[in-house]
Amino acid sequence: MSPMSVLRRPGLLLSAAMTITVPSVLATLAVVGHEHAIQEARATAVSLGADAPPASLPSGSESAVRPAVLAGSSAGRDAAAAHAAIFDAVVNQQHDGMRLLGKAATAGLNTSYQGVELIAQSGVTGTLTMISSVWHRAGGLTVTQTSDATVLAGSQPYVAYAGDGNSPEGVFGVTKPLVTLLGKNYIAMFTGKGSAVGRPAFIVELDRADGSLAARFWLDSKTLVPLRRDVFDTSAQLVSEDAFVQVQFGPLAAPPSATRPVSSQWSRVAAPAKLLLDLDGQGWQLPATLPGGLALYDAAQSKSGAGQVVDLGYSDGLSVISLFVERGTLGKMSGWQPVSVRGHVVYVAEHSITWAGPGFVYTMIADAPPKTVEQVVAALPQSSAPGFLDRLGRGLDRLASLMNPFH
Amino acid sequence: MSHLREQISALIDGELAGADLDRANAHLAACGRCREEAASLRQLKRELRALAAGPFDLAADQATGSAPGPEGADEALTRRLLSMAGPGGPVPSRRFRREQFLRSRREQPGGRPGGSGTGGGGLPGTSATRRPRADGQPYAGRPPREPHRRGRYMVWSAVSLVVVGVGAAAFSMGGNTAEPGPNITPQLQMFNVEHAINSGDVPFPDPTQAPTARP
Repeated sequence: MSPMSVLRRPGLLLSAAMTITVPSVLATLAVVGHEHAIQEARATAVSLGADAPPASLPSGSESAVRPAVLAGSSAGRDAAAAHAAIFDAVVNQQHDGMRLLGKAATAGLNTSYQGVELIAQSGVTGTLTMISSVWHRAGGLTVTQTSDATVLAGSQPYVAYAGDGNSPEGVFGVTKPLVTLLGKNYIAMFTGKGSAVGRPAFIVELDRADGSLAARFWLDSKTLVPLRRDVFDTSAQLVSEDAFVQVQFGPLAAPPSATRPVSSQWSRVAAPAKLLLDLDGQGWQLPATLPGGLALYDAAQSKSGAGQVVDLGYSDGLSVISLFVERGTLGKMSGWQPVSVRGHVVYVAEHSITWAGPGFVYTMIADAPPKTVEQVVAALPQSSAPGFLDRLGRGLDRLASLMNPFH
Repeated sequence: MSHLREQISALIDGELAGADLDRANAHLAACGRCREEAASLRQLKRELRALAAGPFDLAADQATGSAPGPEGADEALTRRLLSMAGPGGPVPSRRFRREQFLRSRREQPGGRPGGSGTGGGGLPGTSATRRPRADGQPYAGRPPREPHRRGRYMVWSAVSLVVVGVGAAAFSMGGNTAEPGPNITPQLQMFNVEHAINSGDVPFPDPTQAPTARP
């Protein structure tokens, strides 16, 4: 077909014209729209800079935002400057978020307060609600008395001395080790001001890597002590809600009288990974990580009437699972409710889940979404009736071991 | 002259003796009619015996020149009656068939070295089919198995016993999935405090030690 014959066909000409024109128009529209977005983003960055925590935060926040503001007020309209402004604003939000959480961990120790906490968490058997009276003197004594909302009287008061490493420290899970883990697994964003329990508060949100909301903290704007924490699962469902329903900062009244000091029965382990390695050689089956991105970050040992007990703390900074392992078989389980979790029979008592593994008893206490808890239970060793061949094979192994003169 | 009459049958059957036998023989020598009657009676009796003994026995009797006795005739009659039970003859017993099979294997040209290679054709249980005992006495009961077969059975029995015994022991020992250990009831109060240290939150109460429920 010759070129002349092609030119004679108007349909082909029209198609060629459309092929050139339409992309050109779309490209022009995209450029115009991009300019408009840049202007909006610039305005947002200026607004965030104005909402940053003012007096209670170090001046780093303002100095970090200032270039963005300057960039917005300058006459330059190029896209690179606008992108830099957005980036700086986001970085400042994250920086402020992590800095606020870090300060909140310290404030929980160094601030005197007393109040009443309401704790509502979703467990594998339903929602658990507790009320806790807390009395804390800055850098010293802490007295807590927690009770189940369904019972008349509370538990025995628990007395601890802050700062010894063997006492509960922090408020609503905001501790230094956990905040460090939060920074590795989540994106903390300071999102503005709000209020909780009638007090002005800074709001810090934790986002997952996929952008979904994982938690939201309200920090007292004056002391930075956490006032409230909401935790959401991957389906955006609220799975934990911890909040002061009554709080008072400053000079405290005398501590509750009906208290008695409790000495710690645990000894901390400096190198949890090494402990796992040592126990693995003795037949203990202890994982280094748990499903849900929970990594081993703490360990302690103690003695019970039955022997050695090992506590392993797993967390991603937000969810915390304490796994207690000891040799033996399950004994009397009065007060425990048998529940089937992913095909395994376990015993549940509110936050605690226990089951028999091969030669060991596993007890888990979890501050984690129920889905994560179920995954963890399914991943850990379980004791089950072996099949015929398994039983025969294990018996032959034991026979061989008995008859081996070099064993 | 009076003829022998009833004495002819007694004479043919050999029942006469002494003076009666002499008097009957003297009469036969002089009387042709009685001789014919006696001859016909003997022929009839011979034919009856031939019918009872069968052709082979009769031939054997004729060959040996001896007449079968009354007991032999009874046995021959019994065999003939048995042979009339069916076209294939009487069904032999299982033991007879087994021994016949073993005998046929021994008689094969490429048979085992321990085979006797003798016998064949005789009835089961006869001395011709058995290995003679050292003392020459006949076997009283079941014939003994060959030594190599008995050893093989013993080896197989021993192996089976060992396998079953080891298997049963292994199955029994493999039943307990867990090493024996103490019975554990989790110390929740102690664990809750430790978890509070890990989680930075207040210690949970021990629900297994819960006080009185709210009314």
